[in-house]
Amino acid sequence: MSATVSPIREPLIRGSKTYHQITEDLCAPTERTPSAAWVIAFILAVGGLATYAFCLLWTVWNGIGTWDLNRTIGWGWDITNFVWWVGIGHAGTLISAILLIFRQKWRTGVNRAAEAMTIFAVVCAGQFPLIHMGRLWLAFFIFPYPNTRGPLWVNFNSPLLWDVFAISTYFTVSILFWYMGLVPDFATIRDRATGLRRRIYNFLSFGWTGSAKHWQRWEAMALILAGLATPLVLSVHTIVSFDFATSIIPGWHTTIFPPYFVAGAVFSGFAMVQTLMLMTRKILKLEEYITMAHIESMNKVILLTGSIVGVAYLTELFIAWYSGYIYEQFAFYNRVFGPYWWSYFGMMSCNVLSPQIFWSKKMRRSIYVTFVMSIFVNIGMWFERFVIIASTLARDYIPSSWSYYWPTWVEIGLFAGTLGLFFTLYLIFVRVAPVVAIAEVKSILKSSGDQYTPSTRETVGEEAVRKSNLDY
Amino acid sequence: MTHYILESKHKSVTLGMIAVGVLCLILSFFMEPDTLTGVGADGHAINTHARFWTNLLHNSVFFTGIAFISFFVITASITAYAGWYVAFKRLWEAFGSFMIVGLVFMMIIAIAGFLHVHHLYHWGGNIEGDRILEGKAGFLNNYWYTFGTLIIVGVWYFFYRKMRSLSLAEDEHGNAGYEHHKTMRKWAAPFMIIAGFTSAALIWQWVMSIDGHWYSTMFAWYSTASWFVSAISLTILVMIWLKSKGYYQEVTDEHMHDLGKFLFAFSIFWTYLWFSQYMLIWYANNGEETIYFRERIDNYPILFYGNLVMNFALPFLILLRNDTKRKYGTLIFVSVLCLFGHWWDYFQMIKPGVVHTVHDYIGHGNHSDALNDMEGHIDEVGHGASEFISGFTLPGFLELGVFVGFLGLFLFFVLNTLSKAPLVPKNDPYLGESLHHHVGYGGGNEVHH
Repeated sequence: MSATVSPIREPLIRGSKTYHQITEDLCAPTERTPSAAWVIAFILAVGGLATYAFCLLWTVWNGIGTWDLNRTIGWGWDITNFVWWVGIGHAGTLISAILLIFRQKWRTGVNRAAEAMTIFAVVCAGQFPLIHMGRLWLAFFIFPYPNTRGPLWVNFNSPLLWDVFAISTYFTVSILFWYMGLVPDFATIRDRATGLRRRIYNFLSFGWTGSAKHWQRWEAMALILAGLATPLVLSVHTIVSFDFATSIIPGWHTTIFPPYFVAGAVFSGFAMVQTLMLMTRKILKLEEYITMAHIESMNKVILLTGSIVGVAYLTELFIAWYSGYIYEQFAFYNRVFGPYWWSYFGMMSCNVLSPQIFWSKKMRRSIYVTFVMSIFVNIGMWFERFVIIASTLARDYIPSSWSYYWPTWVEIGLFAGTLGLFFTLYLIFVRVAPVVAIAEVKSILKSSGDQYTPSTRETVGEEAVRKSNLDY
Repeated sequence: MTHYILESKHKSVTLGMIAVGVLCLILSFFMEPDTLTGVGADGHAINTHARFWTNLLHNSVFFTGIAFISFFVITASITAYAGWYVAFKRLWEAFGSFMIVGLVFMMIIAIAGFLHVHHLYHWGGNIEGDRILEGKAGFLNNYWYTFGTLIIVGVWYFFYRKMRSLSLAEDEHGNAGYEHHKTMRKWAAPFMIIAGFTSAALIWQWVMSIDGHWYSTMFAWYSTASWFVSAISLTILVMIWLKSKGYYQEVTDEHMHDLGKFLFAFSIFWTYLWFSQYMLIWYANNGEETIYFRERIDNYPILFYGNLVMNFALPFLILLRNDTKRKYGTLIFVSVLCLFGHWWDYFQMIKPGVVHTVHDYIGHGNHSDALNDMEGHIDEVGHGASEFISGFTLPGFLELGVFVGFLGLFLFFVLNTLSKAPLVPKNDPYLGESLHHHVGYGGGNEVHH
């Protein structure tokens, strides 16, 4: 039996796959020797990671003075990078949780890699609040516990502390969600493996047998975790936005910040998913599972969230004028025309203007345009955080303390280094786990495989349908 | 039954509701609370009829918004390739038809503003010497208000007519190429962008500018979310009523379950926006901003807390379970609650600010000096606390009557539009999916059928 599917819906699995072929295709990348492309990429990534380690040591050894921060601009690239990485870490859980609740079938093609990316991005994000403390060895002070320092507790009133809770909760739930999805797939790899490899995957798959009871519990768990993770998608960046918006600094204290930060986070997260998926599908030959339909859907999300962010930018500008509050007006005037005008310009052009080309279906379905755009959005969203943080701080209430800030090589190295950390983790991931969720893709085969979808059934041919029916 | 028939009984009930509304609106014109009237320098009694005007504004904004957001949901669904709602999309199309009626009401208010007949808006009177309002005069003026309303709602309605005619044409001439649907997509996506910007501009004018000094960047999204929850509530109520009359048998528990999910999710979303706005203002503790909530908590505590109970606590707790989204009893209860609750929300956005403007105008409390307006506000909080103002502190019978009247008018237009086309559209490419919609709920007791 196949489900009722609209005659204009595109298939999500190409190539008239059978269940067995899906297993073969998706397990293969973990079973063969890495390609030259992977090896080169891995060397580069580890090089980046080494840079990170070096700059981290340099900072810890010599102190935060090796950065260009000063009394006026207390947050620079460090917090910009933090917010940027946390934002990127939003797409995975949005795809796995919210799209699961919305029963979006295209999520199955990209959810595994997006969740992995989320976790790695949060790992990168977590570095910066720790490093920017300066005295890294006292980082455990952020945890509230009865201590020997007298009645010295963390400041529960501070959004910076809420961040600790929000992000660690998000990180935990994301890992649970990701790992739970991996269990049946690890079992699939186990069943095909021998020797030590079999023993390892046996351990990782928690004795999964694929019984009806296992699946029933697995599905119930997926829904429960999705329900828990959905508010988390919103809460994490909401609380990050509180870091700024609870203050009374003009340009930071604005009530639209929470939903606007969340929209921006989803925006940047999807851009990073595009960047990764376009490379991954090519290198691992997964074009039949991560199809143009997936890429187009994600481009639509990018267009939508980019426009939401655009509405928020203009709302802020307008209300700054409307407020009649000269400091608010100045803050926004300074963003647009002040010494950091170039970062505002970069933000507006990369985040709001350039995604508008996705109104064209042709552009949405162009691999090259999508790739370039995904990089643009990544850059634009970095600029957004830089605009909010550095350009606002650079012009405070007292003109005599106005300042300008430019990163030192250490700060640049730290940022570039986290990219190395991120890609190192991602490249290991694609070697050890199926990049596309095998079990979940199989669950949509009968509704979204091209031999079943009304829009392509005829071109694919009856033979393919018969073949895949026989296979099962 | 493929067509809804507007029976004379349905007509007379809605007309009866309208009659109640008209009566209450007229009564509210003459029953101005004493504290809002004064005596002018020349001994003349001053009566701004604020109760009448606020009731008119409140309900016009509320129901125009429901019509607008219903149409917005259609365009969003088309753009998102959604299929589940298609079986009953005619109901949302019917909701959208009220926009034109809403426009008429808003134009009445706009023109009355030009003629200085009402004193709804802080910026509407003499703003000389009030530097804040003078700074905003480029946006807060009668020209913007009138032509902004006319053009923006006009554009919305134009898009609505276009989509409606395409939808009807699809029934008649739809073909295997789904040309109509493809054209609809081309109209739907730009509308979302236009709606995103323009609805904010209108809400600033219509509602936020009542408290002319105050501002919040969140306000437009917050009130739009309020409209959305109201629209879903009303959809559920009208749908259950239609089903009880034997219509829309294609709409099953599966669709109701999804509507219930929307009600649940967006009640939480509304609360999220409410919390974000309130919490940030509370935390920053900036007098120019906190005054808005200070005023409501001190002088309108039932409005303030009732808002949260009706629109968050109860819908959240009731709809959390799966089966309550499939049982008509709980669905009806929560929908009535949320519809009334969000009407109540708009009540608390609109009424307190007007009380100030009217007090200013009639010289109540001797703070006519507009420059010291902020002190005036604070001053008033002090001695206003004990004052109960009929139709302002809480909705009275007249306010409820006007609500019933507008609801009747809304339903009259909706049912009238609904009767003009088949209930279930033909030839929509997603119709099959909608008719076979299943949310995958495996829970035990199926209550209906």
